[in-house]
Amino acid sequence: MADDENTPMATENAALSDALAAAHAAVWGYGVVGAALPTDARAAAVAAEDAHRGIRDALIALLGERGADPVLPEAGYALPFPVLSAVDAAALAAVLEGGVAAAWVRVVDGAVERSTRALAMEVLSAAEVRAVGWRTAAGQPPVTRAFPGLQQ
Amino acid sequence: MPPSPALGRRTFTRRTLLTVSAAGLAVAVTGCTSSSPADERNAVTDEQADGLAAQVAVQQTLVQAYDLAFQADPALAAAAGALADQAGEQLDRLRDAAPDSTSSATAPPGAPAPGQGQAWLRTQVAVAATSHATAALDQTGARAALLASIAAGLRGHEALLA
Repeated sequence: MADDENTPMATENAALSDALAAAHAAVWGYGVVGAALPTDARAAAVAAEDAHRGIRDALIALLGERGADPVLPEAGYALPFPVLSAVDAAALAAVLEGGVAAAWVRVVDGAVERSTRALAMEVLSAAEVRAVGWRTAAGQPPVTRAFPGLQQ
Repeated sequence: MPPSPALGRRTFTRRTLLTVSAAGLAVAVTGCTSSSPADERNAVTDEQADGLAAQVAVQQTLVQAYDLAFQADPALAAAAGALADQAGEQLDRLRDAAPDSTSSATAPPGAPAPGQGQAWLRTQVAVAATSHATAALDQTGARAALLASIAAGLRGHEALLA
């Protein structure tokens, strides 16, 4: 069993499980983001939440096909700071996207399958594009990052 | 899913091992006898080393494009200077990851018309992002992660320049 846990595919699956955990957190977090935004500003949060739900479901299916137990969402999550305004909500969304980006960079690093790298590229880029919008809304210059998901 | 080229036959050379250790994102390969997953992912073929070197040239071209766009549109330089700085940081990191790179940058296609720098630059950023993203698929481990992160960062630039 120890050998199984040390195979390249096991490493890839572990990274995908971490990405699934990040997706769970993002889905939960966007509920908080949306609740803190005025009604007419919620479209971006709803779209982002939908995107993370889609990735979450895809990961659950992929890991299930591979015989890996998909990680479940946490019973609760701690907010990194109080979310009391639209600016706080945007800042939280940027944090959520940053967490997702970090998880997917690790997926690229640990990926065996080319198709996994392709999926990771897609998700990582989408997360950064959303994050740029949220950092802008939160007033967090510079709103772009040279190395999304990587420690700088 | 198709098998990954990461598990295919590899040729190990001093140049490729140096390339891996310079990536600085994961475990540096100190030899080619280890078979741990991290070592396996971060071992690099000559083809992968050449591919990474080509992306250094792509990024050099993008850095030149930022300069040209700023010359054509000085207001853009004030608004997007941070993006150019980040493109330069990305180039430095790529050079660190491919220290033996000898690829030469090609000049950006044409030059932006006065006042058209932003739209022209956005196109150049998109081209570079797509190139890095495509190249990342043929890399593994830390090199793939670096290219993927840079490509995503440039997608953010592209969005901001829209």
